[in-house]
Amino acid sequence: MSEVESVTNAKDAARSDNASFDPRILVFTCNWCSYAGADLAGTSRLQYPPNARIIRTMCSGRIEPVFVLEALRDGADGVIVTGCHPGDCHYVKGNFRAEKRFNFLKMALKQIGVEEDRVRLAWISAGEGEKFSLLIRDMTDKIRELGPNPFKSSNIKAT
Amino acid sequence: MVEKSALVIGGGIAGIQASLDLANRGVKTYLVEKSPSIGGRMAQLDKTFPTMDCSICILAPKMIECFRHPNIELLTYSEVKEVHGSAGDFTVKVVKKPRYVQADKCVGCGTCADHCPVELPNEFDSGMGIRKAIYLPFAQAVPRIYTVDKDHCLDCGLCQSVCNAKAVDLEQQPVELELHVGGIVVATGFDIYEPFRITSYGYGKYKNVITAMQLERLLSASGPTGGRIMRPSDGRIPRTVAFLQCVGSRDQRFGYPYCSSICCKYAVKDAVLIKEHRADSEAYIFYIDLRVFGKGFQEFANRAKKEFGVKFIRSSPGEIREDPETKDLTLWYEDTLTRTVNSLKADLVVLCTALMPRSDSVELAKILGIETDRYGFLVPSNSLAEPVDTQVPGIVGCGYCLGPRTGDIPDSVTQAGAAAARLSEILMAGSG
Amino acid sequence: MEEARIGVYVCHCGVNIGGVVKVPEVVEYAKTLPNVEWAEANLYTCSEAGLSSIKDSIKKNGLNRVVVASCTPRTHEPLFRSTCEEAGLNKYLFEMANIREQCSWVHSHEPEEATRKAMDTVRMAVARARWLEPQDEPEIDVADSAMVIGGGIAGLTAAVSMANQGFRVHLVEKEPQLGGMTRRLGKIYPTLQDSSEIIDPLMKAATSNKNVQVYTSATLKDVSGYVGNFKVTLKKGTEDANLDVGTIVIASGALNYEPPKGSFQYGVLDKVVTQLQLERLLTEGKLTEPERVLMIQCVGARTGEVWTYELSDMKQSFAARLLSKILGAKKEEGWPYCSKICCMNAIKNAIRIKELWPKAHVDILFSDVRTYKEYEDFYRKARTLGVKFIRYVREIPPEITEAPDKKVKVTAYDTLAGVETEFLCDWVALSTPLCPSKEDVMLARMLKVPLGPDGFFMEAHPKLRPVDCQSDGIFLAGTASGPKDIPESIISAKAAAARASILMGNKRLKAEALTADVNPDLCIGCGLCEELCPYGAHKIESGKSKTIAAVCRGCGVCAADCPRHAISMRHYSDHQILAQVEAMMAQ
Repeated sequence: MSEVESVTNAKDAARSDNASFDPRILVFTCNWCSYAGADLAGTSRLQYPPNARIIRTMCSGRIEPVFVLEALRDGADGVIVTGCHPGDCHYVKGNFRAEKRFNFLKMALKQIGVEEDRVRLAWISAGEGEKFSLLIRDMTDKIRELGPNPFKSSNIKAT
Repeated sequence: MVEKSALVIGGGIAGIQASLDLANRGVKTYLVEKSPSIGGRMAQLDKTFPTMDCSICILAPKMIECFRHPNIELLTYSEVKEVHGSAGDFTVKVVKKPRYVQADKCVGCGTCADHCPVELPNEFDSGMGIRKAIYLPFAQAVPRIYTVDKDHCLDCGLCQSVCNAKAVDLEQQPVELELHVGGIVVATGFDIYEPFRITSYGYGKYKNVITAMQLERLLSASGPTGGRIMRPSDGRIPRTVAFLQCVGSRDQRFGYPYCSSICCKYAVKDAVLIKEHRADSEAYIFYIDLRVFGKGFQEFANRAKKEFGVKFIRSSPGEIREDPETKDLTLWYEDTLTRTVNSLKADLVVLCTALMPRSDSVELAKILGIETDRYGFLVPSNSLAEPVDTQVPGIVGCGYCLGPRTGDIPDSVTQAGAAAARLSEILMAGSG
Repeated sequence: MEEARIGVYVCHCGVNIGGVVKVPEVVEYAKTLPNVEWAEANLYTCSEAGLSSIKDSIKKNGLNRVVVASCTPRTHEPLFRSTCEEAGLNKYLFEMANIREQCSWVHSHEPEEATRKAMDTVRMAVARARWLEPQDEPEIDVADSAMVIGGGIAGLTAAVSMANQGFRVHLVEKEPQLGGMTRRLGKIYPTLQDSSEIIDPLMKAATSNKNVQVYTSATLKDVSGYVGNFKVTLKKGTEDANLDVGTIVIASGALNYEPPKGSFQYGVLDKVVTQLQLERLLTEGKLTEPERVLMIQCVGARTGEVWTYELSDMKQSFAARLLSKILGAKKEEGWPYCSKICCMNAIKNAIRIKELWPKAHVDILFSDVRTYKEYEDFYRKARTLGVKFIRYVREIPPEITEAPDKKVKVTAYDTLAGVETEFLCDWVALSTPLCPSKEDVMLARMLKVPLGPDGFFMEAHPKLRPVDCQSDGIFLAGTASGPKDIPESIISAKAAAARASILMGNKRLKAEALTADVNPDLCIGCGLCEELCPYGAHKIESGKSKTIAAVCRGCGVCAADCPRHAISMRHYSDHQILAQVEAMMAQ
């Protein structure tokens, strides 16, 4: 069995387990905007699904593709990279670098069969608590539809 | 010679902020607070509007910063007795009242209070909770030193005998201090009007008619009911709560004719909290004008209505009657928008009462040689152009002791900054 | 690197966390994690008792890393870092796990899930803590000069306050004269004195102060640098001026909203004006004795608010109109907030008219009369003078049509009387809110500070830091951060001056340690970091990248893009981030 077939089989198997599947989503946030936006969702008591885990860096520009790949390899079902809106980056243009790297990463992920919607880039400002909560809700729903990460070690059988 | 030091009278959020702004500027600051702990009104609140921050959570780091700051000397349980001199060179006599507990020995463990046989209503809990004759006003008190209320102490000596640190000293004497400071900030805050005289509302008679501050203490996680809104008569969690605005405010007969500025805002906040605590509850706000101005506030009130289902009735209820069996209340009111007379049965009624000057504000003003207005608030030297200066150069004010203003926490914090700036201009003139 | 001995402190935060997350279980879980030598729960970790407990347990157990699982580091990290320092630990050996704002408060109805999330978050924090290293904080100089953007009442007040303390102030005003909005007002409430009585002395105080340098008809072209060391380029006419300042105060003011043409017949009928325009007409003596002046409150403000009424209680015809209006209504133009000062402003002009012409009718259509504090007396005065207050339905703009004799007919529903009323007016004044200027967006970008959801400049913390911007060294004064009246603008300006003076007075500031660290053995001198860095913190010298630590802001872009992975970010290293990633999925 080729590796691609192995992955496809794993995806199908994963999707059929959907019913009891609880997505695990990793969210990268930046200290100045999106982390503050996430905090605002908290102080506003906006409820959202508990499927996300947050890592904070100073700038979204710090996020390297290898971090996202590592997350997928370890079994995260979805990854969101968040940062300040274009033009508003606390460090001027860190978020532009993040976007450029992210677009490249998406192309590469497509090549190896990771679904389009499994990784996302979103701009969240410090005042957008509601947007953050809706983002997590939406991502959780989408990932639930997509099914678990096909690269989760348990899903791929050795060839 | 200009003394590069300042005295701040009052340890609420305004006094705390003024002290920090001065201390960070390099000015040695004495923060005098007459109660055993700093924190003031903000420490009594559960949540702040409209951000719904946990009040003590955002206040505690500032209280601790004050306590640890090398430029701030905290003089709690102390009062200002005399002031002489002028800007740049004031001599102040401060009396440290005896706590009957040695500050350097007490570790704040609370064993003394556990054994004390005297139970009293707790001022911090607005009378809703109990403290002992030896007590800490609240869990996050700064400094964390117990105090003996000698007026109610039985002198049984139990606390002294159980204290492992040997900190209790029932013979302690007051200590007089003479301070030399360049400037003074008055930040003594407000008292809460208790509407006993408005007999139609039954405050003081009906157990389930309470003030908003009493509700805050019930809502507060560190309050007497651990954050469960247990109504006073039977401990039941109320299903219908009515808030009455302008009790003693905007009133020419009882209380005060001014608007207290923050009551509509905190009523909306409290109503939302009521709905959060119990999803099937109903909250009604009886208002005349809904004064939800200020940053983010109109939006918050809209959310309260749309998302949380808080009901707003434009009316000033005429009368509240109590059912003698259930202790439930019935409000009679005219809805001014529909022009109909209705009644509402409520489990709990919260009176949003006026905020008034402290009872000793006039006396303190006399000591300082500054003016107060007809209510007892401080009068700025020019209400428009010099809004934090008093008539005496070198003495400034900030916070609610200057009157309602916008009245909320950011307003007090901003005024504290302005007061610090004014004093810095005097103390650091030209020196940078 | 030494073997990590980690202490974990899980906070109940009263019931804020403990009411949802099962804190004791999280503590027990933490104990099972490798390198965790101590774990405990606290009721309020930030209280004196909590902090003492941390310090004691560090000493007793020889801990060298601390993790506190509580609220957001954005408020409490400095406090806990100081506590670690007091216990002898470098403050960068501290990590926080946010299990309140990002856990208990947003999953309040799912305690099991919230507890699991708290455990995961603690595990991730512990994973990072293992890799934390002590850092040094470089000290930077703070220039003892400030720039104030805007020469209105707030800008002037801030400038004078700082100048009086001995700091050099550069006051930049885009118009040819100082004074801003205050100069355009006629009278000020509640004293009804001339605005010139307030603003003229201030302008004089600023221009005559030897420490204040005023630039009028000047705009900001560029701002770079960071707290203590801002480099500013001004454009004045055809010339540029360069300034080095330590702090910046934003006092750029606000505009008076003008309704779009046609809205309320504004711009169509000459006699329909804004409240500010009415004020100008009054002040300049261009108003002849009117028979009736009608004022409409909340025009273009409090949009998005729909206070539904009990339709059955209303008169039939009116209810039908309300319904059709709401169903047919377009999105309201304007701003969602309450502008706070319009009620008093309208009453001020109403009183002025009544005092000039006692026989004139003045009617104010209001939704709520927001005359807070002692302004209540001013409201009473207006009523005593005969000003009529009519409560209308804000969601239904009154019908405004042309009437003969250059008059205006206004039809509105008086909710308190329960009737639709017609007014034949000489003037209709629309009370519109103060609103942010579009230029604020450009200014915010230039200074790298955020605007809030209402479009005004956003404070670092709405309750406790109302005049600070999120970025260090930049402060807010006056209406730039939201509607204010004159004393409030003055107070906020003085507070901003106080905050800026603290920085400038201390002359030196401890900077964050989060800087880039280039490994010369791996660096190939490709120059990508130099090209990418927005602060010019990297310079290629002798074939290797050299970092200017004082200018580095720690964003990490260089580290992420370096083709040789030669750059490491202090306190945000690859190891630390990857450890958290791995820990997320570990069980």
